Order: sequence, then structure tokens, then C-alpha cells
Amino acid sequence: MPVASTNRREFLQGVSGLTLIIGSSGLITACSPEQAQEIAETRSTEITPNIWVTLASNDSITIQFPATEMGQGTSTSLPLILADELDADWNKVIVETVDFHDEAYGNPFFQNMLYTAGSLTIQAYFEPMRRAGAQARRLLMQSAAETWGVPITEVETEPSIVTHPASGRRLSYGEIVANAEFPETLPEIEDSELKAYGEHRYLGHDIPRRDMLTKSNGSAQFGIDAQVPGMVYASVLRAPVEDEEPIEFDGSAALAIDGVTDIVPLPWGVAVVANTYEASKWGKEALSVTWSQTSRFREANLESDLEAYVDQVENLSQTGTAWRETGDMSAAMKDAVEVVEATYRTDPAYHAQMEPMNATASVTEDGKAAEIWVSTQTQSLSILGAAEFLETTPDKITLHPMFIGGGYGRRTLRRQKYVEDALLVSKAIQKPVKVIWTREDDLKDGTFRNTAAQCLRAGFDEEGHLVAWHHRVAAPKVLEYMNPPRWEASGGRDVIVMLGSESSRYDIPNFLAEHILTERHSRVCAWRGVATSYTKFAAESFVDELAVARGMDPLQFRMGLCHNNPRAMNVLKTVAEMADWSRPREGTALGLALAGYSSTFAAGIAEISVDDVNGAITVHNYWLAADAGYLISPKNSEAQLEGNVIFGISNALKERINIIAGEVQQSNYFDYPVMRMNEIPNVEVRAISTNNPPTGMGEIGLASTGAAIANGVFALTKARVRHLPLTPERVLAVIRG
Amino acid sequence: MANFTVNGQPIEVDANPNTPLLWVIREHLKFTGTKFGCGVGQCGACTVHVNGTATYSCLTPLSAVEGSEVTTIEGLSPNSDHPLQKAWIAEEVPQCGYCQSGQIMRAANLLETTPNPTREEIVAHMSTNICRCGTYSRIIRAIQRAAREV
Repeated sequence: MPVASTNRREFLQGVSGLTLIIGSSGLITACSPEQAQEIAETRSTEITPNIWVTLASNDSITIQFPATEMGQGTSTSLPLILADELDADWNKVIVETVDFHDEAYGNPFFQNMLYTAGSLTIQAYFEPMRRAGAQARRLLMQSAAETWGVPITEVETEPSIVTHPASGRRLSYGEIVANAEFPETLPEIEDSELKAYGEHRYLGHDIPRRDMLTKSNGSAQFGIDAQVPGMVYASVLRAPVEDEEPIEFDGSAALAIDGVTDIVPLPWGVAVVANTYEASKWGKEALSVTWSQTSRFREANLESDLEAYVDQVENLSQTGTAWRETGDMSAAMKDAVEVVEATYRTDPAYHAQMEPMNATASVTEDGKAAEIWVSTQTQSLSILGAAEFLETTPDKITLHPMFIGGGYGRRTLRRQKYVEDALLVSKAIQKPVKVIWTREDDLKDGTFRNTAAQCLRAGFDEEGHLVAWHHRVAAPKVLEYMNPPRWEASGGRDVIVMLGSESSRYDIPNFLAEHILTERHSRVCAWRGVATSYTKFAAESFVDELAVARGMDPLQFRMGLCHNNPRAMNVLKTVAEMADWSRPREGTALGLALAGYSSTFAAGIAEISVDDVNGAITVHNYWLAADAGYLISPKNSEAQLEGNVIFGISNALKERINIIAGEVQQSNYFDYPVMRMNEIPNVEVRAISTNNPPTGMGEIGLASTGAAIANGVFALTKARVRHLPLTPERVLAVIRG
Repeated sequence: MANFTVNGQPIEVDANPNTPLLWVIREHLKFTGTKFGCGVGQCGACTVHVNGTATYSCLTPLSAVEGSEVTTIEGLSPNSDHPLQKAWIAEEVPQCGYCQSGQIMRAANLLETTPNPTREEIVAHMSTNICRCGTYSRIIRAIQRAAREV
């Protein structure tokens, strides 16, 4: 009988109780927790044709989900792909989140780690899921055909049933599993045997997301909701500046607080342990700590650091690491009859995810094994990082993945400081410990979208053709900070810094996008849309500047550059039609940006006005058209686009982290405001389904926002704002020259 | 010792009277549907009803609810079938979902006082609550749907 990999099998045998506990927490969402328990207890006979699916004699079908659910909907859409090809009854499908590190389940875009980021889940797993489903279906059909003594060509399927139409015989998948013999070797599936686009029962038909009920009645379990018997709480007073450490501390006032039991010094701060969360927090507030004063980060000041980046990016003698290069940019620029240049700045941005960082850990007495409960975007790195930290092996770490209260890249690092807080304190006091960062901790110790200075240069030939493009991005090595082994394997190509600068939709013969390495002045991390919130802000603002320089309409100029790219042309035409691009407006203006990246195409148009007294921008309407290939879930795709537009506009208008003497100046939502309901524009999105392999939808809606708004401001005021966020002061300063 | 009711059940809690109601609900009583977001009344993730009024539980000390009736998302309806919950599912409002308990509790309070709110009334009432995933337009639609179906 075919079985899964050894790891998978050992896992099922060894810790099936654990699976069920997670199931009752809401991650198994096929049915009620009680039903899931019942189904799991009664799967008397089961087969696992491949690592992705297990079929049981009670008709249940368990599909492994190798990503994490953080609102993007893949805990429904990914198993749905397999279920569709298997011709499964979706109501009989149980979804299990993979909660151990095994490269067999890993995402090939991320070194086969279990890693949910970059809108690469559907893109990575579409083919394996289809094939796994088709293979399991074929196995069931073969078996039924043998039982009936008929050729396999005469059998068909309907949801979870194999049928023989000629004789009217039927066997459910569970009946086949219970009684049939299965071959040692599995059937191979040819491409031509997979369902074609448009032939699917579930894909493209808006099957409801499975996490809606638990997220509407409070039962969805996020990391912060972990409750472990015997658990205590710890709050950590963290060093105010990166790399500083406590020199001495006085914990007497903290220990005097009712409920406080222990003070645990950590390399980066001091933890107060208590029987209640509130006592640990009050204890933390009562600590007196003297910090070291030696960190180089005390020299960090955002405004001067950004200007130093500008100096580097404008100094063309400093070359960088090529991200994308075609033709001979330098020669073409030298030969150009007209060269246009502009420099763009972006301030750091905070994820502002609603669930502050937290973790619960229980470490064994020898300190070499642990259970951890955490909201993570990467099961693999949570396990590997904890194992490295405890100097043990990954198999000694048991991970309980939870729903994620907002990810946006924040939960992708190899060193997860909130987990390390909980591990160290649990190890010290030998109890399960829950650590909850306050919102202020989350900001002060945030890992931000990096500061960046970008210099764009373009060269035109005598006939006015754009023949040379140079996009220089000055930024630190963010990937190195996030995950050193991945950086080492990257060949110096920092996707977190550079994504979007490839501008690959445009047909420009001589092209260079390069990363100018700068010193890191704050903690950094991927942010929503990876780098595209700033690379597309610069590149698409610059395209607009070029259109102006050529005296052309920005839409026509872009179409001229991508007329060989039908999908780019289609999103441009669609969004222009949605916005009625050519209709004159009074008091408002439109700005356009073509801002797809990777394999997804998107274009956005903002309709804006500017308060000429205080410089404040109002976005009245935002239109977005996106083509991510064949749509698995059209309605959810639109929800993702809408949310991204809001996120992007919020960032473009007002989100800004400031750092002075190494200290983050913002502390909560009152000084890092994000968009509220009374500030949202009318947002209209169109998710276009095309017969291309499905790609990312979870971030694409954000990439166009900054440039579209800035281009609208130019269209209205003839003032070009080249510094993100587009704050009223900056707009006013540019308008007034 | 503080005495009050949570979701109709009499509760006796032995905790410091300054403890924010949020932490009493979440960590003492284990009703974890109510969420911690900011601790300073800025995001609304912690919204519960105290004597029928939407309240930031993060800013409400335990001492202030003595003798009160507290309702959390777990107690909004017996079978997750409050019109708002049904509308939230029908409109597929949640993305990450973390803020949605607070959003629903806030919206429930609106429909209590204003059964047929205009869009402007919805926006004015709901702008206390942040959704970082940006589900605002679906929240509006879901509230309108629930108002129609009540």
C-alpha cells in the first residue's frame, strides 16, 4: 500500500493527539471540532497515496496545508485545488496545517522551507496539489475498475464516488479504501490528464472560506490565545536601542507587586515573571535598569541616515549588485541625446499588525527540548530558529502553529525575539511561559520596512525612444538581517530590497537595476508587498516624469512601452476604462501606475484632491485591475485587492517611523496612525481571470498606490512629491517650490 | 473580590481592582475571543458590552464593572447566529480576523440603538475600530445586510 514519507508517517503515529488538539482550536475547519474529533477517531482504514492527502474508509479526506493562514485565504484555496482534481466532496475534506519541518512540504521559492510570504503559496503549490489530487483519484478509479472487472476507461467520478455508468454501479471513496487492494507503484499523471482551465468544479466558483465562522464568533485561536496548564506570564523590559544590554537592575519594586514571582535577566533586557499578565506588566514598569551605552545604533538618526543613502545612490561611481540587467545600460545612457534623472526617498514603515508579537513556550529541564505556541509565517524557521537558540536539534521542538493576527512579513524572521523571550524565561523558571509584547514593545522593537533612497535615470535616443533605464536602490542588506543562511544562498541578490525594480513589463533594451549596499541603522524586515511599496513608488513616479518630459499622456506613454505585453496592456486598458481616464475632472485629478511584479499584473488609478492651505491629499476613488492568471477564488481575490489598496494608501499618505539616536520615536496607533473607516476612499477592484498559471493576489493591490497618488498630485498641482509618505508638509513644500 | 456577570453567568474574580477588564476576560476567565491590540483605546479590538454599551475593555478597570453585565463575543448569540455574525460570514468580511470580534461587538451596539443606520452613521460609529487588513468596505456591507435582515 502506498504510504507517505517516513516523517509524515512517524508524525501521524507519534503525535496524533497533538493534531487533534490543534484541530479543536479551529485550524481543522471542515466541520465542528467535535465532528473532526469523531471523524479522526473513526478513520479505521486509511491510505496516504502521497504526502498531501489521506483517504479514510469513513469517507473523510485529510489534506495537508503547508502554509499559514493569515487572512489571505489559502487554507481554503490550496486544499481546494487538490480536492477539485481528486473530485472530492469538499464537505468531507479536513484540512491539517503542517506543523513540523520537512522539506518535502516546503516552498521551493524559499529553499523548501515552510514559509508563507511574497504571495508565493498558490504559485508554488498549484501544480503539486493538482497532481496529488489527480493521482489519488486515478488510484481510486483503478481499484474500483478492478473490483468490477471493467476497463478503467469506463469508470468516472462524481464528488467522492467512483461510478460505472454502463452498469450503474457506484462505490464511495471510503468504500474503496476499506475493501480494495492498492498497487505498490502509483499511477503517473500526464499534464494532459489534469483538468483544463474552466473545467473545475470548485476553482473559480467562490467556495466560501473555511475560517469565516471561527473568525466571526471569537473561537479562532491566535498565538496570543494559547492557554497551557500551569502557565505563567512574563513581560520583558527591552533595551531602548538595538544591541544594548542591561548592566545592572533593581527588581525590588517589581518583586513587591502582588503576583510577581521572579526576575529573569536576559541578554537584551529584563523579564518579570508573574502569576498574572497584569502583574508581570506592572512589574516590568516598576523595574529600574541601567543599560550599556556602547551600541553603534545610538548613532542612528533617520533623517541624516537617509541623506547619507541619497549621497550614495547619486554617486554613480559606487556600483552595486545587479538585480536585473539587459543590454548595455552605461553605453546607451552615454549615447542618449536626452537624460532624465530623479531621486526618491522613503521612510521606514511599521507592519502595525493587529496582534502584537507574543509566544508561549515550555522548555524541558535540560533546556534541550521545547513546545512553542506562536503565530508564525514560517513553521520551519520557528522550529529551526528555536532549535538553534536552544542548541538542540529541530526534532526536539514541537510547534503549535496558530492563526495569525496580521503577518505582512513581520513574522518571517529566523530569529524570533518574542519566541526567544519565552524560551529563555521558561528555561530559567521551568514552567510554561506566555510572553505578550505591548503595542509599545512591538513598535520600539519593531523590524521595519527599510529606509531607501532611489535614483532613477532614463536615456532617450534621437527618435525619442526610451533606450536606457537605470534604477539604483540604496538600502541595507535586509535579507541578511532576516535570515543569514538565505542571504548566503542568494548570491547577493536581496529580493526583500529589490523586488519590483525589475520593471519587466516595459520593453527597454538597455536596463540595469542595482542594489547599492548601505549600512543598516535599524531592525529591518520584509513588509507587505515585499519592496514594491517603494520600488514601484519610485519607478512608476519616474515613468510619469518621463511621460511629462515627452509631452505624452501617461497612459499612452506606458502603452507604448509595453505594447508587446498583452497582459500588461489589458490591465492598463481595464483600469483606464474603470476610471474613465480621459474624462476631465474639476478640482481633482487622476494618477496612474502600472505596478505588477513577479508573475501578477496590476494597474491602479487614484483620483485625488489637495488642500491648498495645508497640503493634505484626499484620495476620493481608487480603481485597480489585476491579472493573477487563473483565479481560484474570485471573490476572495477581490477582498485581497481591496484590503491592499487600503493598506497602500494608508502607508502612502501618513505612515512613517522616525528614529532618533537609535530610538524609535513612535509608540502606538496614536502616533503611528493607520487608515480608519472614515478615511477610506471608494475602492473599485477587478480581478481578471486569464488562462495562465495562478499567481499571487495577497499583496499586488498595494504596489501601485504610492505612485498613483503622487502622479495624481502632479497632474493636479504640477508639483512632484518624491518622498514617501506624501505628508501634507512635503506636498505643501513642493507646491510652494 | 469583584462580582459581575459575563455572558449571563455570575462571576467572582479575585484580582487587583486596577486590572483592565480585558485581561480579566482573556487570561483569568479564558474568553479569548476578545483581543488585545493597543491597550490605550485606539484600536477597538478589545470591545465588549458593559451593561449593553460598547466599551474598550483595555481601559476599563475591574473595579468599574462591579455589579455590571458584561457581554463578550462568545455571548453575543447562543449559536453564532446573531444577524451580524451571519452577515459577516455571508459577506466574507474577515481576513486575518483578529480585529473582527471587536468590530462585531461595536456594530452590535450600533444596531441596538440605530436599527437602520445610514452609511454615514455606520462610518461614524465604526471609525473607532482599526482593521489593518483593510476589510472596512465589507464591514459596512455586512452591517447593512444585517440591518436589512433583522
